[in-house]
Amino acid sequence: MSSTATTRPNGLALFILPSALLFALFFFLPIGLMALMSVLTGNPVVMPKVAFTARHYARMVGDPYYLEVIWTTIRIGLVTTLVALLIGYPLAHWMARIKSRAGHALLLMAVLAPMLTGIVVRTFAWMTLLSDKGVVNQTLMSLGLIAQPLKLMYTETGIVVGLVHIYVPFMVLTLTGVIGRIDERLEQAAENLGASPLRAFLEVTLPLSLPGILAGSLLVFALAISAYVTPILLGGFQIMTLPILIYQQISANFNVGFAAALGIVLLVISLMLVIAYNRALGLVSGQRELQ
Amino acid sequence: MQTAASNSASLPAAQQAASVRTPGPIRHYGRYLYLAINIAILVFLLAPIAIVVVFALNPTPFIQFPPVGVSLRWFEKFFASRDFMHALWFSLEVAVLTTLSATILGASAALALARGNLPGTRLIVATMLSPLMLPAILTGLALFQTYVLLDVGRPTWGLVAGHTLVTLPYVVRTTLAVLHNFDTRLEEAARNLGASPLRTFFEVTLPLIKPGVLAGAIFAFIVSFDQFPVSLFLVSPGNETLPVTLFNYLKFDLDGTIGAASVVSIVLAFVVVIGLDRTVGLRSYVKL
Repeated sequence: MSSTATTRPNGLALFILPSALLFALFFFLPIGLMALMSVLTGNPVVMPKVAFTARHYARMVGDPYYLEVIWTTIRIGLVTTLVALLIGYPLAHWMARIKSRAGHALLLMAVLAPMLTGIVVRTFAWMTLLSDKGVVNQTLMSLGLIAQPLKLMYTETGIVVGLVHIYVPFMVLTLTGVIGRIDERLEQAAENLGASPLRAFLEVTLPLSLPGILAGSLLVFALAISAYVTPILLGGFQIMTLPILIYQQISANFNVGFAAALGIVLLVISLMLVIAYNRALGLVSGQRELQ
Repeated sequence: MQTAASNSASLPAAQQAASVRTPGPIRHYGRYLYLAINIAILVFLLAPIAIVVVFALNPTPFIQFPPVGVSLRWFEKFFASRDFMHALWFSLEVAVLTTLSATILGASAALALARGNLPGTRLIVATMLSPLMLPAILTGLALFQTYVLLDVGRPTWGLVAGHTLVTLPYVVRTTLAVLHNFDTRLEEAARNLGASPLRTFFEVTLPLIKPGVLAGAIFAFIVSFDQFPVSLFLVSPGNETLPVTLFNYLKFDLDGTIGAASVVSIVLAFVVVIGLDRTVGLRSYVKL
């Protein structure tokens, strides 16, 4: 009897209710309505005769343009993830291994500072860096390295650079936690047995940090494919991604049904990524999900 | 920049440790390469923020590099602009309301999850953290559609609800972290000494979880203040938050006003981060 008493919800469990209500009204209900709108012919409030339809999804699958948009979004997400991993790993390794407490705090500050600067502000920064008369082109031209400004903005490369800058802190923070958990003595043992530091890293640390690599990559990919500001400003309205298309359907065409269908596609992709992310972190330690 | 300097100062000790194990010039080169790569990455992370400050102070009305001088004209223009000031105050209002609701709801939820013996805790936590990973633009779209269907317009409370949804996870996470780390025997001791559950909560639990709640509140404030995708769908024309106003401005203009506005938000973020470090320490939030 006493064992059932300790596992039964107590009075404190009631404190979950306000949040549960918030999620029910402002999260599950809206997403449910979005799913509903994606299979209706129109707005049921203003139109008396609405019927179920699959035409929004059929339009997406039937028109190569929309498949191209989805593929562009995924391609930008993949390249962003790969670059964020290549840039994030060394920094995460340094953060996890640095001995000095002050050094660690400063590194953490350096990683958090861009994170705490708004997306619009950071995208503005990259516009001043990458535009034709921007810092990068001006510097290269004054050094005589190039005669014509490089086309950095309004290209996928520009978008990727901006996205990497915005999402690399998420990669670093995920990886730091995982690398920090790997016993440094394993690496030392490998080195004492004659392995070079590089080989010790490649054969000991890197394989052990794979769950972190997976988790960080999934997180960055999920964030990158849902980005709006950076692709639209650095792409100069010339490169179409799924979030841009969704907003355009609302603001320009007011095609709520089609926007909802596009939203559901993005949601399903993201949901699969979230589940995979939780699995990957679960590999690191069974306790981690709670934090 | 500061970071790079101080870390190269701590480098000799690390080098010594490395050379004691296995001496050799190759090891040193490897170490230098490692540091060079990392410093380059830090420059990549921090330079764009520095460049914003440069353009905020550069007096030319277009992007020009290298800068030709220092002036405060863009700050004057920013603070004199009725649109920007309205947006700044509206953003602060939304951020304050969001922080209040996210903190109260999030801290209560964390308490219920850690102490309430709820079934399916892991699933509930995963659900509550999901707005962090699910595209915020979808949260905005879904809420927008709901408000249209229910014909409620675009009220401020609707915007605050959307912001609360995407900031609540921070409060839940930081509060849960503290709740899991502290010694539950302190609460048991209070109960054994005759304190009521309510008194135990207010005199033992609450003071101990305060740093976590506070850290979550600070995160909530910054995230709300910088929030864009949810706001994009939920603001009404003429009543926009600062990031939306900046975005609309950026679509047509690329002058120093944006730089000045950016510096104002960066300074705000830095003040909050330093405050965070002073009050609770950043170290405990490495874990994402």
